[in-house]
Parts: sequence; C-alpha cells; structure tokens
Amino acid sequence: MVNVMKGVLVECDPAMKQFLLHLDEKLALGRKFIIQDLDESHLFISTDIVEVLQARVDDLMDRISFPLHDKDA
Amino acid sequence: MAMADTKSGRYASAGSSNSVVPLVQGPANLECKDFQEYLRTRQTAETLEKLYNYPPICLAVFRELPELARQFIIRILFVDQPVPQAVVTSWGAQRFAKEQTEATSCLSDLNVWRVTAIPGGLSAWELSPTFKKSVRQVLLGGGKPWPMTNTLEKDSKPRDIAFLDSYAMSRWRCVLHYMVGTGNRNGTDAEAISPDAVRILLHANLMKRDERDGITITRQGFQFLLLDTRAQVWHFMLQYLDTCEERGVSLPECLSMLFQLSFSTLGRDYSSEGMNSQMLSFLQHLREFGLVFQRKRKEGRFYPTRLALNVTSKEAATTMTVSDEEAMQDSGYIVVETNYRVYAYTDSPLQVAVLGLFTELLYRFPNLVVGVLTRDSVRQALRGGITAEQIVSYLQQYAHPNMKLVESAIQSKSCLPPTVVDQIKLWEMERNRFTYTEGVVYNQFLSQNDFVTLRDYAQSIHVLVWQNERTRTMVVQKHGHDDVKRYWKKYSKGGG
Repeated sequence: MVNVMKGVLVECDPAMKQFLLHLDEKLALGRKFIIQDLDESHLFISTDIVEVLQARVDDLMDRISFPLHDKDA
Repeated sequence: MAMADTKSGRYASAGSSNSVVPLVQGPANLECKDFQEYLRTRQTAETLEKLYNYPPICLAVFRELPELARQFIIRILFVDQPVPQAVVTSWGAQRFAKEQTEATSCLSDLNVWRVTAIPGGLSAWELSPTFKKSVRQVLLGGGKPWPMTNTLEKDSKPRDIAFLDSYAMSRWRCVLHYMVGTGNRNGTDAEAISPDAVRILLHANLMKRDERDGITITRQGFQFLLLDTRAQVWHFMLQYLDTCEERGVSLPECLSMLFQLSFSTLGRDYSSEGMNSQMLSFLQHLREFGLVFQRKRKEGRFYPTRLALNVTSKEAATTMTVSDEEAMQDSGYIVVETNYRVYAYTDSPLQVAVLGLFTELLYRFPNLVVGVLTRDSVRQALRGGITAEQIVSYLQQYAHPNMKLVESAIQSKSCLPPTVVDQIKLWEMERNRFTYTEGVVYNQFLSQNDFVTLRDYAQSIHVLVWQNERTRTMVVQKHGHDDVKRYWKKYSKGGG
C-alpha cells in the first residue's frame, strides 16, 4: 500500500526551516500545516497555507531589517 | 532580454512540461521574443509557408539567422536539387561542430529547409521552395512590385531626419504617457491615444480594465516601461500583429509591410499608392505610434521613422539625432550615489513616473528629481513583478554620462556603485528564500522494491522532485501525478 498526499514541497535553508517548524508547533497560522518533514532543507506542506505563510515570512524579514541610510542626511 | 515565459496562460501550457511552476511569485512576467522566437513559438509550418510567400519577410528571416546558417542558404540557394547532409556538414571545420548544429537546427525549426531522402538512401537538405523563391526574388529582383513605392514627385516641403526623430519619439511617448497615466493631465502631449491602441495595450496585458479605476497598468506594463525604446516598439508591434486576425487583417501582409518599412531609407518619402484599404489602415496605426510620418491622413506620401527602421535590427538602436536637451535625456540623466540616493535630471513626467516605481521620491525641482532607493521602495517594485535585474539595467542604461567617468566605473563594467547593485539583488534574494513546488508526496511503501521501481519511473519521465530511499518517500510534480498513479496501478496489478 502506498500513501499519497497532495501539497507543496518547500525548499529552504535550515534556518528558515526551523522557523517554519516553529510556526507549525505554535499554531501561529491558526493550525498545523506541515504534512511531512522530509530533510533538513525540505518540507512538505499543505497548499492552501502558502500565501499566508509567504506574508508571514515577509513580516519576519521586515522586522529583522533596519534602514540602511538616513533619509534626512 | 530573456525573461521568463509564462504569459497569460495561452502560451504557458506549452512550455511548462517539466519546469517548476512558481506558486507565489504570481502570474506572468513580460516576455520579449526576438523575431526568430516569435516565428518558432507562434507559427505552425503552414503559417510559416504562408509568410515565406512575402519576400520582405524572407529577407528579415535571412538577416536574423546565425552567420553559418546564412552561409548554408547562400550556398544551396541556386542548387536545384537536395544537398546531402554529409556535404553540408563537410563545409565546416570539426571544431565548429557546435555552431553548425545550432545553425542546422535553427534552419529546421524555422522550416527554412527540411530533410528529404535522395536516391542511394542518403538524407539530404532541401530548401523550402517558397522560401527559396522569395529569397531569390529579394536578391535578384522580379516578382510583384512592393506596395510601398518611391514617390514620383518631389515633396514640396521635405522633412529632415531630425524632425522625423522628434516626431517619432513624441508619438511613441504618447503611448507610454498614456500607460503611466500622465497623458491627459499634461499639456505637452495633449493628444490621447486611439481606442485601437488601447485595445492592443489591453490585449498585450500591459494594461487591464479595472471595474473601479478604469484602465490601469499591469506588472507587465511596468516591466515594459523599463525596456529600451526599440524593444518596446518591437514587443508592441508583435502584440499588434496578434490582434490582426481578429480584425480580419492579413497577418503576413502586415508583417511584410512592417519589414519593408524597416528596409527603407530614413529621411526619404514613399508613396502609399497601390496599397489596399487594409494596408492603408495599418499605415494609419503605424502613424499613430510614430513609426511613419504623414502630414495628412489622405496624403499618399509618408516617411518611415527610425522607430520603424529599428524594428529588425538586433543591435541597440542607432541613436537619435534629436535636440540636445532630449538627447541628454535619452542618453542618461540618472546619478546613483553609494548612499542610495538617486538624482535624476529630467522634467519628463514619464521618466519621473518610471523612477517612482522603485525609488522613494524626496524632492522635485523643475529639472531635477531626488529620490532614494530604500528597501521598501525596491520591495514594492519587486512585489509588482519587476526584477532586480530590470531595475539595475534601467539605472545603468540611463546613467548620467558623468557616472561613467568615475574611477570605479572605468575599472568595472558597470557604472553604478557596486554596493547599490548588490543590495538591490540582495533585497530580491531575500524574498526568494523559499522555493515552492506544487506536488504529491508518496510514502509508506511496503517494500524497497516498490519504492525503487516507482521512483525510477518518475525519474524517467522527469517529474521526480525529491526522494529519500531510507524513508521511502518521494515527491513528484503535480502534473506528473496522473502518470505515476497509472503506472503504479499497472505495476501493482502485474507484480502482485
């Protein structure tokens, strides 16, 4: 017997993968979305979460960036 | 000019067989094809034959071919029988085998020649008879006269090249202004563009009709604005030709006419006598976009402009001889500093609007705009579908001449500060830390054998994206799932 599931394969660096695992564990997006943890740089997740996830990651990147220059200089 | 090919779904399906389809990046980047790609992707063998009935089209095709391919054609053009493939191969030295294969496949793709069998079991190349006839006509003359003829009488008020250039650019800017929505508000280009032009912009996906805001620009439209003028005109004309058939106008005739214009002499006037009504209306459209100049609609005399002449030239457009002020604007008006500040010496609302796509504008003076490249402004552009590469190449293309005098610019290829270029690219990469591939995961195989068989099958049809033998898990692309499933059913039935 073979088990078959549709979804999305995500490839990313290990740090970002940990971030996804964290989101999944804390139910930060409202529910669990990781279908299978494949290896250190691959995850299999449900399709419908992708857009929410992308927005969330953008948020994260916004928070960890800082302005490079002073506009009033 | 090789941008990703995923336009409006119509053409996308053909090429996506084993490419990874981006999920989030959104739809459609602007694709710009050169003439060969256009012929290859959009025309079937029969339509190509139809096009080859027109000598100007054949000449354009011939000129665009790789050098070796042109050589082949010239050598067999007057040979009235198929030439064995081995003979053609023997014309080139072994170390240029790669170029030869390229040239050969290029000719086959364009249906310029085809393989036939000759007595003795050899395969041979034979030029398409239509193509052969047309090229011979182009070279030696004869055939039907071209609809575009020289005028008989001299123009009483001839127009010089400088006038034609500025006329062409002002017409073309009208279209661009319309796209960024500055056309009507600004007094200088009071003329709005015709409904036909709007229809083409809509058809090309450069603009879209919005219930709320009326007609607005799309992401492809933004990308379009960042192209150089020649590429813009070419892309626009291809889209125009696309709509020909719908309007009941013959595509080959229009294309042929377009190429005739591109072979004409700048600054000379031609007569439209003998053109049929369809071609006359095509001429009116060309007039609107600035490809030809005509004093009055009904006048049988027209001047092709540089925009039309540049249509077929692969190299960067020959520079315009416009007034000094405008020449400066065209050659370069942007200064980028290492502190991400951008100074643009321009008063054109179009250029300001384009710059505003990816910079945060700070100050505006009569002839100068100051902006700054910020993470937010660049990211907004990226979200709009503009790539970092396009931003960088736009800044580079319009860099102020003084930028090229800086020491670092002389040493490196680019005249932009490397920090800024790198940062723009980093901002783009930051958005792509994930790649998403829609797919189907297979796991919980009962035996290693089952897994290996199915995996190897998926691999053989190029749909396998990820696999791990230890955990017996594999991921195949979504569109490959049906095939793999069918194979699995057959396999499990047969093997037990």
